[in-house]
Amino acid sequence: MGRYIIRRLLQAIPLLFLVSVAMFGLIHLLPGGPVGVFLNPRLSAAGRAAIEQRFGLDQPLPIQYLKWIWGALQGDFGFSFVTNQPVLTVLGQRFPPTLELFTTALVLALILAILLGTISAIRQGTVTDYVVTTLSYFGISMPIFFLGLLLQELFGIVLHWLPVSGIATAGVTFDPFNALWDQFNHLLLPMLVLATSFLAGWSRYMRSSMIEVRKQDYIRTARAKGASTRTVLWRHAIRNALIPLITVVAIDFGAVAGGAAITENVFAWPGMGQLFISSLESRDYPVLLSMLVLGAVFVVAANLLADILYAVVDPRIRYS
Amino acid sequence: MDSSEQVNVTSVDELEPVIEVTPALVQKRRSQGRIIFDRFVRNRIALGGAVFLILLFLFCFLGPFITGHNQPDVLHVTEASQVFAPPSPQFPFGTDDVGRDQFARAMAGGQVSLIVGLGSMLVSIILGIGIGAFAGYFGGIIDNILMRLTDVVLAVPLYLLLFVLSATLSDHTPKSVILLISIFGWTTAARLVRSEFIAQREREYVLAARTIGARDLRLMFRHILPNAAGPIIVNATLLIGSNIILESVLSFFGFGIQPPYASWGNMINYGQGFLDSDALLVIIPGLLIFLTVLSFNLVGDGLRDALDPYMTER
Repeated sequence: MGRYIIRRLLQAIPLLFLVSVAMFGLIHLLPGGPVGVFLNPRLSAAGRAAIEQRFGLDQPLPIQYLKWIWGALQGDFGFSFVTNQPVLTVLGQRFPPTLELFTTALVLALILAILLGTISAIRQGTVTDYVVTTLSYFGISMPIFFLGLLLQELFGIVLHWLPVSGIATAGVTFDPFNALWDQFNHLLLPMLVLATSFLAGWSRYMRSSMIEVRKQDYIRTARAKGASTRTVLWRHAIRNALIPLITVVAIDFGAVAGGAAITENVFAWPGMGQLFISSLESRDYPVLLSMLVLGAVFVVAANLLADILYAVVDPRIRYS
Repeated sequence: MDSSEQVNVTSVDELEPVIEVTPALVQKRRSQGRIIFDRFVRNRIALGGAVFLILLFLFCFLGPFITGHNQPDVLHVTEASQVFAPPSPQFPFGTDDVGRDQFARAMAGGQVSLIVGLGSMLVSIILGIGIGAFAGYFGGIIDNILMRLTDVVLAVPLYLLLFVLSATLSDHTPKSVILLISIFGWTTAARLVRSEFIAQREREYVLAARTIGARDLRLMFRHILPNAAGPIIVNATLLIGSNIILESVLSFFGFGIQPPYASWGNMINYGQGFLDSDALLVIIPGLLIFLTVLSFNLVGDGLRDALDPYMTER
């Protein structure tokens, strides 16, 4: 197992290298790239050369890349054009809200997907199954930002139940308990929106893999040796049905990150997704480049984690 | 098996036919396409999706001429009441803050959204078939390069990359949005085609065709490719839906279709500012996107079932 993980990590290096070269090239070669930001027409030639020299933009692109990647490997991603802070500091400020939204939505979506998928699989063909299937079709077809706007309209503007934007009520100091409650209220809608958009697809995978697993011989064996329906379901069926779901969830990790970016912008959630859009609008290339590359690291790590989880869920799978 | 033949055999073996010749037994032999069509039509939900899509296309492309709501950009501000007008016989979907006819805009935006969805599907599928066919057929270094390219595209969160490309490269016309979306849409089709080619390229019929002198390109596109037709058609249908969503997300953030073109996505972007005063400006284009994508998904899944060769003939 340890050897397998090391081999997979080594395989990830060339991929991430390719990704970083592609993203660096993309950002620097695009019209209006970092050089374009400095090409203020009112800037004198000397002033332009001074700025280019200061940021190393006068050197050949491969040299610039090597300098950048050398710094990045040591945790130095350069400086934000907008705030002049180190990129890592900027990202660090925006990371906790994103982590909060991402993990809560992911956990909620997973739990509900496993439950709904299992229920509609064991009640295959009943009204419950049809309701779950219909709802999942709705969820798959619903653009995430539209769902966000609908819930804002319903719960915020019509019912006045929940706040529609931000992470906490501004300008009010609460005692610790109420502060937590206030933050939970703010989290509720974005978390629901993000979870719903993935819950739909995942519950359908869970349903079909559960139906498949229930036909297997080992399920009949377990029943024959006298295990109760509940034991068979929880100890035997669900564990095996989870394997395809793990793959899908891992593949979807990048999409969940994208969905989180959209959700954050709809709900003015001050996380990395909002930073991404505002950096794009202000052409803050060092920040954009770092987020693209770190995003790829994140997706590759999620895929590796999924492969390791296989072995945990299914003892038959052994890596060597 | 031909049903009339079956009846003949039994009547020879036994003196009295045990099978009564019902209309079902003597019905004409159906072609492959007919069988698939019949199966699809029997799936009421998928059929409903297909009917809705036909109506939607008629609505968006013929609607402006039939209903006379063909001026999406005209400001009807001659009377103050026509700003934020609620739905009425004159303006079935109401008007926005500057008095534009939302019914006309829904149709004009629908044209753009549907064209972008269909166009980017076509470009993606053609790219995917080409890349997948070459990688699967020739294998080796071409295949390796393709797979690394797919890995890179899959490793970077799609939305983020698409946002960056749209913000910098796109001129925000339907054509450039179609091309940008297609850059990412081809991977699934390419993998489907590639795996089909790897499975088929060593088969006897390919060797036979090669023996009588068929060249590589003819082998690839006349002999092997038709085997992958089913999965490609299903993928293409589902891709239209997901591409319409991609377009709407891009336009919603202002990186996709921009005025003077209307699209359902940028109508929502525009209406977002008036959510608390006139929610219809958001709800109508949003519902249209939702219903369109839902229908494409239902039709795609219906086609998947109809094309599945393992499904028992009904």
